[in-house]
Amino acid sequence: MGLAEAHQVLVMNRLRGRVRLQVDGGIKTGRDIVIAAMFGAEEFGIGTTPLIASGCIMMRKCHLNTCPVGVATQDPELRKRFPGQPEHVMRYLMFVAEEVRSLLAELGFRTLEEAVGRVDRLVPHKVPGPSKTSRVDLSEVLYRPRQAETSPIHCVEAQDHNLRQVKDHELMARAKATLERGEPTAVEMALRNSDRAFGSMTAGEIARVHGAEALPEDTLVVTARGSAGQSFGAFAVRGMTLVLHGDANDYVGKGLSGGVLAVRPPATAPGRADEQIIVGNTVLYGATSGKAFFAGRAGERFAVRNSGAITVVEGVGDHGCEYMTGGVVVVLGSTGRNFAAGMSGGLAYVFDEDAAFVQRCNRDMVSLEAVEGAEAERLAQLIEEHAARTESVKAREILESWERARDVFVKVMPSELKRVLDDQRTPETAGIPFVGVGEGPPVSRPYVPGRSWRPETVVSHG
Amino acid sequence: MGRPRGFIELRRSKGEARPIAERVHDHAEYDLPLPDPELRDQAARCMDCGIPFCHQGCPLGNLIPEWNDLVLAGRFDEASASLHSTNNFPEVTGRVCPAPCETSCVLSLETLPTEGGRRPPGAVAIKQIEHQIADRNLHLAPQRALVRSGRRVAIVGSGPAGLAAAQQLARRGHDVTVFERDDRVGGLLRYGIPDFKLDKRVLDLRLGQLEKEGVTFRTRVHVGVDVRGDQLRAQYDAVLLAGGALVPRDLAAPGRALPGVHFAMDYLTQENRRVANVPVIGEPILATGKHVVVLGGGDTGSDCVGTALRQEAASVTSLELLPRPPDERRSSNPWPEWPLVFRTSGSHEEGGERRFGVRTTELVGEDCIRALRAEAVAFVDGQLVPTGETLELPCDLLLLAMGFVGSAKAGVLEQLGVDLDARGNVVAEDHATAVRGVFVAGDMRRGQSLVVWAIAEGRRAASRIDAFLASS
Repeated sequence: MGLAEAHQVLVMNRLRGRVRLQVDGGIKTGRDIVIAAMFGAEEFGIGTTPLIASGCIMMRKCHLNTCPVGVATQDPELRKRFPGQPEHVMRYLMFVAEEVRSLLAELGFRTLEEAVGRVDRLVPHKVPGPSKTSRVDLSEVLYRPRQAETSPIHCVEAQDHNLRQVKDHELMARAKATLERGEPTAVEMALRNSDRAFGSMTAGEIARVHGAEALPEDTLVVTARGSAGQSFGAFAVRGMTLVLHGDANDYVGKGLSGGVLAVRPPATAPGRADEQIIVGNTVLYGATSGKAFFAGRAGERFAVRNSGAITVVEGVGDHGCEYMTGGVVVVLGSTGRNFAAGMSGGLAYVFDEDAAFVQRCNRDMVSLEAVEGAEAERLAQLIEEHAARTESVKAREILESWERARDVFVKVMPSELKRVLDDQRTPETAGIPFVGVGEGPPVSRPYVPGRSWRPETVVSHG
Repeated sequence: MGRPRGFIELRRSKGEARPIAERVHDHAEYDLPLPDPELRDQAARCMDCGIPFCHQGCPLGNLIPEWNDLVLAGRFDEASASLHSTNNFPEVTGRVCPAPCETSCVLSLETLPTEGGRRPPGAVAIKQIEHQIADRNLHLAPQRALVRSGRRVAIVGSGPAGLAAAQQLARRGHDVTVFERDDRVGGLLRYGIPDFKLDKRVLDLRLGQLEKEGVTFRTRVHVGVDVRGDQLRAQYDAVLLAGGALVPRDLAAPGRALPGVHFAMDYLTQENRRVANVPVIGEPILATGKHVVVLGGGDTGSDCVGTALRQEAASVTSLELLPRPPDERRSSNPWPEWPLVFRTSGSHEEGGERRFGVRTTELVGEDCIRALRAEAVAFVDGQLVPTGETLELPCDLLLLAMGFVGSAKAGVLEQLGVDLDARGNVVAEDHATAVRGVFVAGDMRRGQSLVVWAIAEGRRAASRIDAFLASS
């Protein structure tokens, strides 16, 4: 029904030729596929039946790890009972294809594509007698819009993604020396919010030419101005430094792979940067390495699934550091609720200036500790770098009163990481930044909230 | 499902049996119950399948995972209610059913070849659990209809199909009269199945409930002889034919007329009458001191073996025409189908010899049968052909347990004018025969089958009759 409606509406609006429709749900036979095609589908999802072909008996115990036929279980004894072979699924799909072929031949279609949208060739099966099904009115489902006479009823044109217009083409042209020979280049560019994934294509090109290790830090320095579109600096590799004077949309630094990002307000921006949002939601999603500095607040889901990037930001929305497994996140301001949910690795340092972080943090998997000793020094160094790269007012205020400010920081320590560190205390943990291996086991002191914070000198902006 | 890993951690067990040396000297049942904690462990092995294949196996649609879970929780009263909601006589099926539920249980799915004798853990002991729920006798109180319909239904035959239909119709408020040509009610449950498999006191308890629910039993009335079928139809609003399929398959071999050759059911009936202290009808047929040969390797044949051993026969040999079935399922007979494999009943365990692929050629004797001559046969291209090997067995008593070929045409079926198919079964559409108001259920409709099918047929026919009475 949903398929028929989607198809009809697209045909009526003469859009069907630009879209491919996929359908799934209960498709078992070639007949199901041909009927779905005639209702307007071009692609078909078949899930349960191939599973059954490989041995599933629909026990519906997939969530209990007790699948008695060894399909949905990791139990080695039960897995021995798995009877499936790839050939079983192959054979099933061959039969489906064969049935599709013979039905198409019967209908006079040469290809499945010819059958797509040919709802006019479907005839409802009449159920004899006074059954409920005999009263079902299928005319709406079998409706063929009149636009079907004059416009396409299946996909005939490919989507134009406008890749030729992407700003990265200009960037790559201007950074030719870097791309080809690895020479340092500095580039200035203007961006608009329609410029998506700025830097990604260049990152790919650098990786293609120079390999996974890419280039030394700061080889290609891009200074951009404006409001960047989605995914600014996504997948940026080592050697790329993207400095944005302005703001950016969602997904900044998604999958960051060694590059350095800095986003700072333009010189003309009014007000305090740490009170305003400078980057959107889901920043640094799945980042693996590199550094990112944001002179302002970020939206929700900051650094979700971060596994290695190091970042400083001046405030985050809800669900920050969710499912994080590695890297370091420094928040120089308040967080939203549910911070660190499912966080199993990496470290976060939060500047708890309103003494409310304990309530906002999801402590199911983390403990909160004070920041001391060499660790505090390294934290200060990182904030220094933030100040240097973004001219952050907040960073400078904190550093100027560091002796007091240090006690306002709370360290978010994943229990899993702590267990590993306590267990091993071996050089293996040396790779984890900010953990004082070599200076003896980290001595942790629980964080005590409530220390008041007020900067000694209010640095005025601009 | 209280224990998700129960089926992995716990082994199948269906209780002990009394020692053979002891039980062959009496007629009492020999399967012993499991202690409650062990029974609950067995129930804990049920996986509460998303698609319960036991439902496919059970013709009654017993809610097996449901009552397994209730037994695990120790809630026997609810378990019994659930069991009785689909099955009128669980105390019978719990004893004599071959349990197609267990062979279709997911735990009997064998996806691995045998490795060093290691088998998959084995089906849930559904039959044992059913048996022990039923034997708590929690649902023997009569369930009397609150409103009487005033409609009268005659049921011909008091076997499991007739009794199940009688109970269902009585509970719907109809006046039900069950006609039985024997002196006592129960059909094959009464005089067919030996006491060592089905203690008749269990049957009497249940019949007491039926009587209190308003069912009238008229024994020693042979419909078709004592009262004509068409007269019965005229006197009642509906008639249900549930007379079974009692015409036995006969042996066509020289010497068939010799004394000492009997149909199995005549033999088993006599023994059941003896155990019940009811006078035996006809010349006594006894195996004591005799060389007994049983033709037919099915359940009836097995009952003859157990009975003959209890009568202290000199020897008991079972002969089966078909070759010995395989020990494992053939690939053409996959789970969850009923497995065509070699089975050994409790009676077979007690003694006697079993031979397969044997066709009787001649019965030898003068005043009485003394020997049986036979030839070995094997399947060649789908045909049974002699292998050339012959054998002669001493035989003083030959029992024919070769199955049944339908119901007697003469009598009630002819008088009512119902149609029979080529196999001698009454033709019906969803239990209604072509004769208005005449219905059929059980072996009379489907040919010889299981008690559990008879109950299922009786229940279904009752609901059809109820609908017929409501609309007429």
